[in-house]
Amino acid sequence: MSETAFEPGVPSPHMHDPHLHPPANAAKDAPSWELLSTCVHCGLCLNHCPTYKVLSNEMDSPRGRIYQVLQVNEGKMPLGETFVQHIDRCLGCVACEIACPSGVKYGRIVERARAQIEQGYKRPLIQRVLRNFFYNKVIPNFRTLSFVAKLMRFYQRSGMQTLVRKSGLLKLMGVADLDKLSPQIDKEFFFSEIGKVFPAIGAKRGKVAFVAGCINNVAFSHLNRATVNVLTQNGIEVHIPEGQGCCGALHAHAGLREEARALARHNINIFLGADYDAIVTNAAGCGSNMKEYDDLLENDPAYLGRAKEFKAKMKDVTEYLAGIGLVAPKRKIGQRVAYQDPCHLANAQRIRTQPRELLAAIGCELVELPHSDQCCGSAGVYNVAQNELSMKILEKKMEDVTSVSSDMLATANVGCMIQLRAGVQQRGLTLPVKHVMELLDEAYGGN
Amino acid sequence: MDSSIIRQLRKIAGKEAVLDRPEELMLYEYDAGVDKHRPGAVVFAQSTQQVSQVMKLASDKKIPVVPRGAGTGLSGGAIARREAIVLSLARMNKILEIDVPNQRAVVQPGVVNLELSNATTKFGYYYAPDPSSQKACTIGGNVAENSGGPHTLALGVTVNHVTGLEVVLPDGKVIELGGKAQDSTGLDLTGFFVGSEGTMGVVTRITVKLTKLPEHVTTLLAIYNTVEDAANTVVAITQSGVTPAALEMLDGWMVRCVEANVHAGYPEDAAAVLLIELEGMRETVNEQAEAVSAVCMQQKAREVRHAKDEKQRQLLWLGRKTAFGAVGRVSPSYYTQDGVIPRTKVPYTLAEIERISKHYGLIIGNVFHAGDGNLHPLILFDSRDPKQTENSRKAAKEIMACCLKFGGSITGEHGVGLEKMGLMTAMFTEDDLEVMVRLRNAFNPESILNPQKMIPDLHFCREITGPLPKAKFEPVAGLPV
Amino acid sequence: MSTVTSPASVDRELAAIVGDGNVKRTDFEINGVVPAAVVYPSSAEEVGAILHLANDRELVVAPAGGLTKQQIGCVPERIDILLSTTRLNKVEEYDPGDLTIAVQAGMPFAEMQRQLGEHQQWVPCDAASLEHATVGGLLATGAAGPLKSTFGHMRDFCIGIQFVTADGKVVKGGGRVVKNVAGYDLMKLLTGSYGSLAVITRANFKVFPRPRQTRTFACSFHSLDEALQFRTRLFQSPLTPMCMEIVSPGASEYLSNQGTVRDPDHYSPEQPISLPAVEWQIVLRATGSDNILARYTRELGSAVTRTLEGAEEEQFWEWICHFEQSVLARHQNAMVLYTHLAIQNVGPALQALQRVAPDYNLIPAAVGRAATGNLVLALMPLSVDPPSAMQYANCVSALRGMLPPGSSAEVAHCPKEAKPHFDVWGTTPTDVKMMRAVKRAIDPKNILNRGRFIV
Repeated sequence: MSETAFEPGVPSPHMHDPHLHPPANAAKDAPSWELLSTCVHCGLCLNHCPTYKVLSNEMDSPRGRIYQVLQVNEGKMPLGETFVQHIDRCLGCVACEIACPSGVKYGRIVERARAQIEQGYKRPLIQRVLRNFFYNKVIPNFRTLSFVAKLMRFYQRSGMQTLVRKSGLLKLMGVADLDKLSPQIDKEFFFSEIGKVFPAIGAKRGKVAFVAGCINNVAFSHLNRATVNVLTQNGIEVHIPEGQGCCGALHAHAGLREEARALARHNINIFLGADYDAIVTNAAGCGSNMKEYDDLLENDPAYLGRAKEFKAKMKDVTEYLAGIGLVAPKRKIGQRVAYQDPCHLANAQRIRTQPRELLAAIGCELVELPHSDQCCGSAGVYNVAQNELSMKILEKKMEDVTSVSSDMLATANVGCMIQLRAGVQQRGLTLPVKHVMELLDEAYGGN
Repeated sequence: MDSSIIRQLRKIAGKEAVLDRPEELMLYEYDAGVDKHRPGAVVFAQSTQQVSQVMKLASDKKIPVVPRGAGTGLSGGAIARREAIVLSLARMNKILEIDVPNQRAVVQPGVVNLELSNATTKFGYYYAPDPSSQKACTIGGNVAENSGGPHTLALGVTVNHVTGLEVVLPDGKVIELGGKAQDSTGLDLTGFFVGSEGTMGVVTRITVKLTKLPEHVTTLLAIYNTVEDAANTVVAITQSGVTPAALEMLDGWMVRCVEANVHAGYPEDAAAVLLIELEGMRETVNEQAEAVSAVCMQQKAREVRHAKDEKQRQLLWLGRKTAFGAVGRVSPSYYTQDGVIPRTKVPYTLAEIERISKHYGLIIGNVFHAGDGNLHPLILFDSRDPKQTENSRKAAKEIMACCLKFGGSITGEHGVGLEKMGLMTAMFTEDDLEVMVRLRNAFNPESILNPQKMIPDLHFCREITGPLPKAKFEPVAGLPV
Repeated sequence: MSTVTSPASVDRELAAIVGDGNVKRTDFEINGVVPAAVVYPSSAEEVGAILHLANDRELVVAPAGGLTKQQIGCVPERIDILLSTTRLNKVEEYDPGDLTIAVQAGMPFAEMQRQLGEHQQWVPCDAASLEHATVGGLLATGAAGPLKSTFGHMRDFCIGIQFVTADGKVVKGGGRVVKNVAGYDLMKLLTGSYGSLAVITRANFKVFPRPRQTRTFACSFHSLDEALQFRTRLFQSPLTPMCMEIVSPGASEYLSNQGTVRDPDHYSPEQPISLPAVEWQIVLRATGSDNILARYTRELGSAVTRTLEGAEEEQFWEWICHFEQSVLARHQNAMVLYTHLAIQNVGPALQALQRVAPDYNLIPAAVGRAATGNLVLALMPLSVDPPSAMQYANCVSALRGMLPPGSSAEVAHCPKEAKPHFDVWGTTPTDVKMMRAVKRAIDPKNILNRGRFIV
């Protein structure tokens, strides 16, 4: 026998012992041992992880990421480039949580690991500048967002985009894919509607506050209008509270927990201001993040109670509508629709049947997409930050899309729509990609 | 590891396909079991040719190689000993051929077990062996471990479903064993190779049988107020002439764990449940369901429920298949055992496990393939408490001793690997093991592949393991001792 | 006829091991070679002592059971000791509740089956000559019959094994439980090893509940294609027959009462009684309750030409199992091959047989497992034209040449004079060098069945 005196059946602790190794890279928001120790490293998550499926290496699997966090906490692995790279590569789709028998709260672990990175690791200068500009200047401030959007709109409409695309400059710069992924900026922004109240049509069945989102305001104002229309057609009075801001999802996913907390407190103040039956959103990412406000504010006694109250009212619009039941639509959409589950709806909020029920209720023929619960690679800003990997994941998704015959691809999140449209375009398909709310809007006669 | 070796590995597999930094190697020091050891390098092969070149290099330089699939093994089969190269086959994950007329599929070793079934159900076929980790584990790993699963009771384990292999020998030579035919002239090296735990060669292509989907499937959940009644039912069912597709047992403690995970409608107040699956032609299934229900009631089942629809059936099975992991919800650490006993000894063995549990003050949950007598006691402990850790080890040894005393085996499906190597001498004589070593050496003469696994070094093992503890058995009426 | 005489000293040493009365002379021939001595050990330890002695002296040993399959294989150069396991004939352990049995290797299979039958259990193997064939012999030859379609063969039931290596070590693999992955699967290695690796002394089996009721449905077709199309439809249907045999037109007459004993080499086809000789048949055996059997009747519908039950049914399957024996009883110079084919290659193999046979003045007949590709191919010479050795050799080579890649076909029987002229075992998809390495690992002096098997 060699170096290790082997004894049969000697269990070694799967996870580290916190008493022996005080966390060496302790950061304020580092994941706790209690969170990590639920992982028994059985590996059942591996094949559910989009990055593992593409890369097949343990570092880019949920089990591997948890192990890396542990090693960093124990000081056995540096909080350095390798660690950051693998944590950055996580889509945050939390498909692994669905697969996990031990109930590991992976989403929370990875968000905290990212906070740990933000708090303890210095990214290269260019990344820092860009991240700061995007997370701290553009998104939270609707005026800057509006300005940037107008610039982009100019680029898209003035013919400059066509010119630049034709020039091959983008390919030369290696950002051709990114260009395809940039959302088409609307003619009219949704900002103008903020602060308004839309009365219920017909018998009033409820009163909700609508989260307008950030990107939705400038690139999906049509979707927002459609959502409001569907709600009012269903007898819901829709308020779009003045002063609402970004939900903070992108910040939380990026590890900017303090910034996320500030946004959370702000939104709690705004949305709990009046007595709404529910707070609804049509963005799965926003919804799942807002349902986690209590986790974000767990150490803030002043807000924790209200965060829980907020969470109880937070509903995805499909969840809310399926819950109250649809008013009969004006017309039936008699098309074959393949539905792609947004991760932040299906995995994070466990909402799978409701969007399908709504589609069925307006007469769509549902075509089951293979692996519909697997991430398309969009994941917030992932398709921009991890473009190459994101495109590989999209490639797998498009294989599934082309394996079924449908008239249309539906989903329930704007990020997924942008990504899927890029995929459809890349393959030269003519398949429309629509939000469930847009289809419902069509069924109710649109506006 | 020597940088020139790393360079050569990169030349073979590509720059991105070799890991050598400590922060990367750390991620390959574990599997789903208990042992850990850091490898010297990790290389991801993408073709048989690359595997062959890696093996040739390793043989020339006398560097051990440990093949690895998804790392879901429970006995340490994929754990490196010494500064070994871990040869990951996870990127060789293509289904090469689905040959419906011949009822075969040809796959690369990194194909995930369940994905093969998912790819073949549209033709009316599936791949029958269903280890509980089937969502993640690879068929290459299944071949190495001869994996079982709940549904192997009627249909057999991996070896009964593999007809052909392409194998790379330690010196890099590529050989074929079997093919698409059920068997072939000469020695059945295909059958011999399955279950060799990566100690004979690296599998690079596998031909498996596809099984026709049954016309009808029914799942029964029999609920008991005592563990003994459930255990007696297992014997009674097999004696009644019915061979269920699966016959699983969970004790009350496990039922509660599992229910918390899946909400499938497992009764949380039961002392034990049997999960019984019947499949085949509709008439057969209906008749058997009636017969089995009657046997359960005769054996004092409180109730026998039928899964009301496919969704509930899937949920019940999801609960069963994720049972080990579900324990992670209540205990920071657990130690999964894998022993086999003759079916009729199930009641006595469970009584003995109960005694061991009380003796050491540790919770031991039981979830197992009752129809096969394949037990999986899960010993819960807190790794922060050295006393508990020590006791869990002792309890495990006593359970294994109990299995052996009843004429059983130390492993039914998880493999020997690192974990059970020391127990091999309790089951086999020195002559038995010596012959196994000779046979292994025919394939792997210099122990380049997966060294120090499965068969203990005969000169040292007894000194290290010491004698097995004498289990204290309460005399049980009717039990031949 | 070559015989070998063992030196008296060896006889004495053997007698010292097994007792005077258990070392005997024999006139039993293996492909014309008469073993110098037959020994009858009564325990694994005695087998060990015999092999130890043989290994020391480099004596060639042929393990033997019921002597039903000894003619398979190449002509041995010599046999010094025929090691008979017939005194190792006890059931060591049987608990019906466990559905496992442990028996010594020399026990006639039928005897074990009778004991299991008392508890409505069985080991589902229906190879030929089970009254004589021993458990060890069936394992060593990997023998099987029609039940292989559903249950597999001995390799799939054998859960534990004890054997003695060429140097006399008594070794075991597996155990007495139905699921076991401790150590290498020596059961698989030894099943079908034709006594070339070790002498099997004990085997443990998993046993099964015996089907309570069966019914047989014979379906006739005008061509092989039609028969195979029917097979495809069966594969696609929910029906799960226990046996699925294909019977070639020429085979039908060997599946009936042979009536009066005739000159074995006189070929004159019996008048077909109920079936014209041009018909191919697929014969199904189903098991289950009345309900289930009724469904077979319903779903098979008009395809069924004959339904068999009870004694008539048993008799029919008896004939199927003994097809090879019936052929050889009538034509001692017939050649019989066992095939191992992918399912879709059953058709091409049967076509090849029908095409090749007339070219060599042989008459073809075949019976076999349509669902697994294990066929018994018989080629019978016409008595008016005594075949030459080369005729067999050329025929085998032509037949093998027409089999699709990946197939193997071993010659299980042909006149011994022809054997030196071709490769009895033929090619196989499994690496033969590796097989030889395995053989060397456990029989380095090559004393066990030297020159008879593929290794």
